[in-house]
Amino acid sequence: MSIAAIGYKIREQRKKLGLTQAKVAQQLGISAPYLNLIESNKRTVGGSLIVRLAELLHLEVDELSGLAEQRLLDDLRELPADQMFQHIPLETNFADEIVARNPNWARTLLTLYRAYLDNNQALRMFGDRMSLDPQLQSSVHDMLTHITSIRSSAEILNEMEHIDKAQQDRFHQVIHSESTELSKVAENLVNLFGHQSAKNPSLAPTEELDDFLIGHRNYFPQLESIAWEIRESIEKSSYLTFEEGISSRLEHQHKIRIETISPNAPGNDTFTNQTFFDPDTRQLRFLAHAPNTTRRFQMVRLIASLEQQDTLNELVNDARLTSPAARQRAFLALSAYTAGAILFPYNQFLDAANACRYDIEILRQQFDGSYEQICHRLITLRNPEAEGIPFAFLRVDPAGYVSKRFPLYGFPIPRYGHACPLWAVFSAFQAPGRIFRQISEFPDGHRFLTIASTVTKRAATFRDQPVLYGIMLSCDILHADRTIYTEGIDFTDKTGSQKVGPSCRLCTRPNCQQRQEPPLVALH
Amino acid sequence: MTKHILIAEDEPYIVESLGFVLTHAGYTVSAVRDGQAVFSAVSEQLPALLILDLMLPNKNGFEVLKQLRSDSQLKYIPVMMLTAKGQEQDKNTAEQLGVDAFMTKPFSNREVVDCVHALVSLDSS
Repeated sequence: MSIAAIGYKIREQRKKLGLTQAKVAQQLGISAPYLNLIESNKRTVGGSLIVRLAELLHLEVDELSGLAEQRLLDDLRELPADQMFQHIPLETNFADEIVARNPNWARTLLTLYRAYLDNNQALRMFGDRMSLDPQLQSSVHDMLTHITSIRSSAEILNEMEHIDKAQQDRFHQVIHSESTELSKVAENLVNLFGHQSAKNPSLAPTEELDDFLIGHRNYFPQLESIAWEIRESIEKSSYLTFEEGISSRLEHQHKIRIETISPNAPGNDTFTNQTFFDPDTRQLRFLAHAPNTTRRFQMVRLIASLEQQDTLNELVNDARLTSPAARQRAFLALSAYTAGAILFPYNQFLDAANACRYDIEILRQQFDGSYEQICHRLITLRNPEAEGIPFAFLRVDPAGYVSKRFPLYGFPIPRYGHACPLWAVFSAFQAPGRIFRQISEFPDGHRFLTIASTVTKRAATFRDQPVLYGIMLSCDILHADRTIYTEGIDFTDKTGSQKVGPSCRLCTRPNCQQRQEPPLVALH
Repeated sequence: MTKHILIAEDEPYIVESLGFVLTHAGYTVSAVRDGQAVFSAVSEQLPALLILDLMLPNKNGFEVLKQLRSDSQLKYIPVMMLTAKGQEQDKNTAEQLGVDAFMTKPFSNREVVDCVHALVSLDSS
């Protein structure tokens, strides 16, 4: 059974509900033979038809379309890439079967694997600490030195004959003194490790947040409505500009003082980010170099988190978020989502995106948003009733650390390790600020349009380094003609595609000059 | 005439116990505790063997060893290095610099004495 077999699911559920093909077809407004073709997997189903079908068959759209299972499958397929399993001949095809037959077993397997990775990471951190930490190195050195003295003195007392009383006393004294010192070193080591383990954050919250967002397809209708209401009430206020409206709402309604401070201001060593909110003093501070787009965004984000605390808490009270840390991250992510939805209202933004063919620069000007904010909003346009182009999203730093990810079917963004260095986002670092486009072809032949650029967070002072991120959006080649980014290139010509992979371990290309790690499965 | 061993080690109790066992084994022993002082002590005393700790204050054992091995008068003096680190990289570095023996703490007195005998007799043969 394949998870792609959507037709079988429709037939199975229809029969379970005791509905005939004719009845369902009539309610859908299609012919019975056409429904028969869908159920036989001879016709694809999507758009509003799948939404109506899901409604009629009492299923979630993701459940019916197999998207939820597909994500589970993508994650499961990463497992064999781990060195731990290299001696077990795992055929990735069977992952389909596990997910299809018993998704809960697949989830259990994945949960266990993530727990293993979490512990592994903690071990590696301890290993690094052992080998690199000066405090620990010094403690180990002291410990071995004291043990050497104790051992040597004990051997003298034990093995050497004709030692006078004064010498015996002296070496007893050495043993006593050195044992006391050794105890102190041991105590310090215990404190060091105890302190360290408390500081070791679990990896799980980030991954749980990923799952939570992907599980919602990064679309939250409830937050869209709230955002619309907030925006409307600000627009209806008597202030001249939207900015005045939001700052006034914070100052008058929430008694929050908004301050801009110079990085050189005396005593400003409390925060280094462009923005900081202190709930105790109710001060929202911006460093002077924070751009307007950041100020607007952070102000509406604060409004959303103050006014919609209950709604956000209700949403993060989700079984996928198992710890307070994960729920806290999710709360922050959802307040940012709401801020995006307030500043870039769904329908207006979608219409504008379609009209300008997803030209990010035009959208930035039209909605006064930063490059990253606009890209973020583009990946939330997933209302099944009015959907934008489905994009995958990636934010990565120049060292390759992925700090934000939103995968797409067929475009797997590795959860662990590094991504393919041939992805356009890594080329973007060569010319910061320029937009790179790429037709990327994965080993399975799946092709994507990729748009990548960098964003720079300005440095506060000469002494600080500006922070650079690569931002990448990718969509299925099927949607490429809806964007401005295929202008002047023949994206139908497969020979012009850049051959990429997910990551070296998962990639099956035999002759790639960029390969840094051997493939999981030997290539023929 | 008894042979002279110079111990370069900053931990006084280790100097004391090593000095005791080596004296009992028939050597004369002197010690320095600072890396800066090793070179001049070796130049003055011309010991039959230098027992050199790696982690010495002011100048570490590698630097001292390198300095000795580049001196035409002193380069043949055998050196036994002591370390509490015992990492492969340290051993490799010491070997590249021309160490004669490498001893990892905590060592036994017997190990040290055996090694000293071997190095000193090799040197005099």
